Amino acid sequence: MRNLLDFLIKHHAWIFFIVYVAIACILLFYSNPYQQSIYFGSANEVSAKVYETTDKITGYFGLREANRVLSQRNGELEMEVLQLRRRLQKYSYELAMDTLTAADSVLCPYSFVVAQVINNSVSRLNNYITLDKGTADGVCPEMGVVGLNGVVGIVTVANEHNAVAISVLNPKLRLSCKVKGTDCFGSLVWDGRDSRYAVLEEMPRHVEFEPGDTIVTSGYSAVFPEGIMVGTIYAYSKQKDDNFYAMQVALSTDFSRLGVVRVIHNAEQAGRRQLEKEASR
Amino acid sequence: MNASFIRFFFLSLLMVLLQVVVFNHIHLFGIAIPLVFIYVIMKLPLSLSTVWVLTVSFLLGLAVDIFSNTPGMNALACTILAFVRRPVLSLYLQHGSDYVADEPSMRSFGMGLFVRYALSLTLIYCLLLFVIESFFMFDALYLVLRVVCSTLLTFILILCFDSLSPGRREKRL
Repeated sequence: MRNLLDFLIKHHAWIFFIVYVAIACILLFYSNPYQQSIYFGSANEVSAKVYETTDKITGYFGLREANRVLSQRNGELEMEVLQLRRRLQKYSYELAMDTLTAADSVLCPYSFVVAQVINNSVSRLNNYITLDKGTADGVCPEMGVVGLNGVVGIVTVANEHNAVAISVLNPKLRLSCKVKGTDCFGSLVWDGRDSRYAVLEEMPRHVEFEPGDTIVTSGYSAVFPEGIMVGTIYAYSKQKDDNFYAMQVALSTDFSRLGVVRVIHNAEQAGRRQLEKEASR
Repeated sequence: MNASFIRFFFLSLLMVLLQVVVFNHIHLFGIAIPLVFIYVIMKLPLSLSTVWVLTVSFLLGLAVDIFSNTPGMNALACTILAFVRRPVLSLYLQHGSDYVADEPSMRSFGMGLFVRYALSLTLIYCLLLFVIESFFMFDALYLVLRVVCSTLLTFILILCFDSLSPGRREKRL
């Protein structure tokens, strides 16, 4: 026993060495990499804290590069969005064309250009609509603008790539309209109050109609062909001089949600206007 | 002794943090890894008993292991390194000259002796570590390349650290 103790004391350095090596080997060979101990891995509290702190500091070093990568990625995505949007626009043009040709044969001498509304207002008194097509695409002043549900307005000015149309929701625009199925016409004007309604004035008293009847364009103005939907009669009242009715018309176009519109081109418009001018001279 | 203990405690703390925070992320040319924390083992006073040297080295290796998710690897290499430290040094000492400074450093050992001492220990450590590592994946050429490159890189860094550390006061007096 005494010999053993002597041995231990004499060789205690060796014993420590062997013990440490044994512990290290146990850690090395018996630790499962998939079930690492919480205490002997970087997941323990101290090392996690240290790494968290370093990351907070070193996180700033890569920011310039990260910014560059992000902004490049952002640019790429933006381009993609633009491309997709353009494609979508193209398809919605095609859709609009399809529905138009299928729906009505009214527009015989008329052709049209499909355009996108890029600016629009309903809240002011004099409302205008900006379109993304201009003279380069065949959009000229005094062309009618029609949405999917009905009349929208008339082009007033156009440059090469854009056009501004005066909206139906503008008291400066007077539109010649009639009750569908009759030939008596009146003139539609917006009273500046509610974007859902306009007033059809100067409707002769002898015309028979009911609330709910459809109001369409008369075709007398050369801007719009005959029979394009404008709205439905909502209410009516006598005008001051008693010989005409004034009707409140619920507009079929939702002006607050204009998207794709068609600009109507009348090939005979110029000639007709010329003729009318000569006749009135 | 007490001041020396505190000094070594902070040196160990600093070296472990430097190793895990900075040098563990350095992987020069994909082969050279700096293992600068063994500088602490080199610096331990020669008068310190072997048991203490072993314990400190083992704990140091374990600390680095814990941070770098290599349980036991550095601890094993450090323990062996601590054990061979004195034999390696005595290899270089001429038998006549019995005077050797207590704490190894460039200043106290002199250029030639310290370079030999540090280079041998670094080589031993890198060899140990990469041999232990190759128990799990063996590739002879890659192993030699890694040992040589890591040794050189670590050795250069250790020389830098040594020239940064302040000289001992006893020396100046």
